[in-house]
Amino acid sequence: MGENLFVGMAKGLRTWLESNHFLPIVTDVFLMLLAVVGVLGFLFLNALFLIYYDRKFGAWVQARLGPNRVGPRGIFQTVADTLKLFAKEIFIPNNVDRWPYLLAPVLIFTIPVMLFLVIPFGKGMVPYDLNLGVLYLVAVTSVETIVLWMAGWSSNNKYSLLGAMRSVAQMLSYEMPVIFAMLSVVMMAGSMKLSDIVAAQQKVWFIFLQPVGFLIYFIAVNAEFKRTPFDLVEGESEIISGPYTEYSGMNFALFFLAEYTNFMIGAIMVTTLFLGGWNAPFGWTFIPSWLWFIIKMYFVITLYMWTRWTFLRIRIDQMLNFAWKFLLPVSLVNIFVTGVGLYLYRMIRW
Amino acid sequence: MNGMGLLKGLAITFKELWKKPVTLEYPEKKEKLPPRFHGSFTLYSEKCIACGLCQQACPNKVIKVGSIKDENNKRKLASYEMEMKYCLFCGLCVEACPTNALVFNQEYELAKYNVEDIKLTLFKKEQITTGEGSENV
Repeated sequence: MGENLFVGMAKGLRTWLESNHFLPIVTDVFLMLLAVVGVLGFLFLNALFLIYYDRKFGAWVQARLGPNRVGPRGIFQTVADTLKLFAKEIFIPNNVDRWPYLLAPVLIFTIPVMLFLVIPFGKGMVPYDLNLGVLYLVAVTSVETIVLWMAGWSSNNKYSLLGAMRSVAQMLSYEMPVIFAMLSVVMMAGSMKLSDIVAAQQKVWFIFLQPVGFLIYFIAVNAEFKRTPFDLVEGESEIISGPYTEYSGMNFALFFLAEYTNFMIGAIMVTTLFLGGWNAPFGWTFIPSWLWFIIKMYFVITLYMWTRWTFLRIRIDQMLNFAWKFLLPVSLVNIFVTGVGLYLYRMIRW
Repeated sequence: MNGMGLLKGLAITFKELWKKPVTLEYPEKKEKLPPRFHGSFTLYSEKCIACGLCQQACPNKVIKVGSIKDENNKRKLASYEMEMKYCLFCGLCVEACPTNALVFNQEYELAKYNVEDIKLTLFKKEQITTGEGSENV
């Protein structure tokens, strides 16, 4: 019953609209809008919860209590913080490049929203199943750096500029291992369509066939979305807040929310590419596929938080060295081994 | 081997994850204090012999002991006041007390809204007889 909850709802709505003789285009547009609203709701609710969960998890690791004042166990802390930021003035300093400065917070949030277009949330629950889903993911994620550069450059502040430069360097160097790790998965699945990749993992998840690829991807995605061992872009102790330094009020809130949404996207990508997406493990199909997806996503998120609250921020040269001198060669070797393995497997089968 | 430190760090944070928080939710929950905690003061006025040793011992001249002499020429306590704003909770008065009439208690929330309330009046005789031998030591 739970399995077809959302798909069934969409189907029922479609038949109802068609039976009431709406134009087909109206039906399509209405259902697409509904999907957009659903995805946005999922995204906002999860981002709000994630900020709370991150703070709570950090508190647990440090034997503290964490937020516990607003609502039961502090669950509404993020809502209260957001409301506070709503009430703050959006301050525009003198000599900022006005248009890029104001556009950056708007654009930064569109990128994670765009990424949700191709994510398979459950069985038959893909907003739009692109043929080149993996390529789309890679392409759109790397646009984020341009927005951060916009924010850093237009702020007319040395810290913002430094943060933006770091974000560009980081994105350039970690994009490679990410792509190569993704490529090994694409080679195994034989398709760039995300739903095909999920379907290819029905029996064995790719984490077992591609353990090295998984590790590379796990680390590199963490760097790409600027989580703590690699959060040089923000680097509070060195460059105040990086590109976000000059932002206040709702503009800052958008940056903050986008950061956590990106984090969520990272976890979703790890889930989809390596942990079997919405496939149920051990044939436990009594839990619906979309719930499996969320469970796996939160498992990966917890792993990322665990690393975040364990490791210290590394230096910029250490970070780049790690990417170019370790991750990139290892991922190339991984691709080579994957290719040879696939070829041998095909030979034996034939 | 390279990278084992990372795993060690992860193991430590994982262990910490299950530990009880050390935070005390102060206004709701209060700490269990040691028995000889230096808090506010309690005066057992029936034990007090108004000797004034506490007053002598106090380095900041916090304590003011008022006494009277009754008909048998015996010194008795009339009033006991402490200017808590000067008190440094050293405990010399408690140590000096020969009858253990003055002791510390467990109360430590001593902030007040008015300056006048800071003064701690531990004993005040209802009607101070203005008869013979009324004196302030």
